[in-house]
Amino acid sequence: MKSIDEITRLSAEDLERISLDESIPVPEELSARVQAAVRKPARWVLPAGVAAAVATLVAVGLTLTQNPEPKDTFDDPYLAYAEVEKVFAKISGTVAYGAEKVSQSEQTLDKLSYWK
Amino acid sequence: MKKLYILVAMLLVSITALAQDGRSLYNKYSDYDNVEAVYISPAMFRLIGKIPDVKMEGENVNLGPVIKSLSGLYILSIKQGAVADELAADVNHFIKKGQYELLMEAKESGEVTRMYTVGDDSVVNSFVMLSHAGAETNFICLDGTIPRDKLEELIADAAKD
Repeated sequence: MKSIDEITRLSAEDLERISLDESIPVPEELSARVQAAVRKPARWVLPAGVAAAVATLVAVGLTLTQNPEPKDTFDDPYLAYAEVEKVFAKISGTVAYGAEKVSQSEQTLDKLSYWK
Repeated sequence: MKKLYILVAMLLVSITALAQDGRSLYNKYSDYDNVEAVYISPAMFRLIGKIPDVKMEGENVNLGPVIKSLSGLYILSIKQGAVADELAADVNHFIKKGQYELLMEAKESGEVTRMYTVGDDSVVNSFVMLSHAGAETNFICLDGTIPRDKLEELIADAAKD
């Protein structure tokens, strides 16, 4: 009898040839042993899957109905663009303020290190 | 059976967490009194993307590449103590749940402004700016698939000018 290591080293062609070789006896209890080795899924898996799918559908449905897409504030893309521009100006203004503070701190640190 | 309940509960919690986004906050607060609310939809962003020269007024900053990648803009501005505080708390909650990363924080005369992003190294899926000062809260949320380098470049260029 071959060991598992020997079997894993066999090529697909070798495995096919051996499986077709009727001179090799098949143990009588092999089929029963294979069936016993294959674990049946737990009984709760199927109902759990169904329940999870139903819950997903319900949750997605609730999310879509309770959180609809709002109505556009602007009908004119130029007005909408002007608003986007304002938003970026605001964001940039905050970043500029932060950058200025960092620069001031660096200057203060430079002065302190100069006097040391 | 216990495993089943745990599985369903986890699923519902994760879906509820996903539902907390700029849109849900907008839907919650936009109809309140004394609230300024602006929403720009993906369809409108597609229209804006067709405007030939999308540059910031008076500045040499091209908004085009970023605008084409946006899919939603939500702005809420509330100047009413209790509701402003509630919005700030809700935004902070959704920032934590959404695993946003703090980009920067600025404090000026009692006003705290924080910017957050969520995404990966190359793409920003959502950008949030929250300013809170006393009885006033301003919330800006930009959704899309924004190239991170383009967004950072744009903000840096505009800040320089």
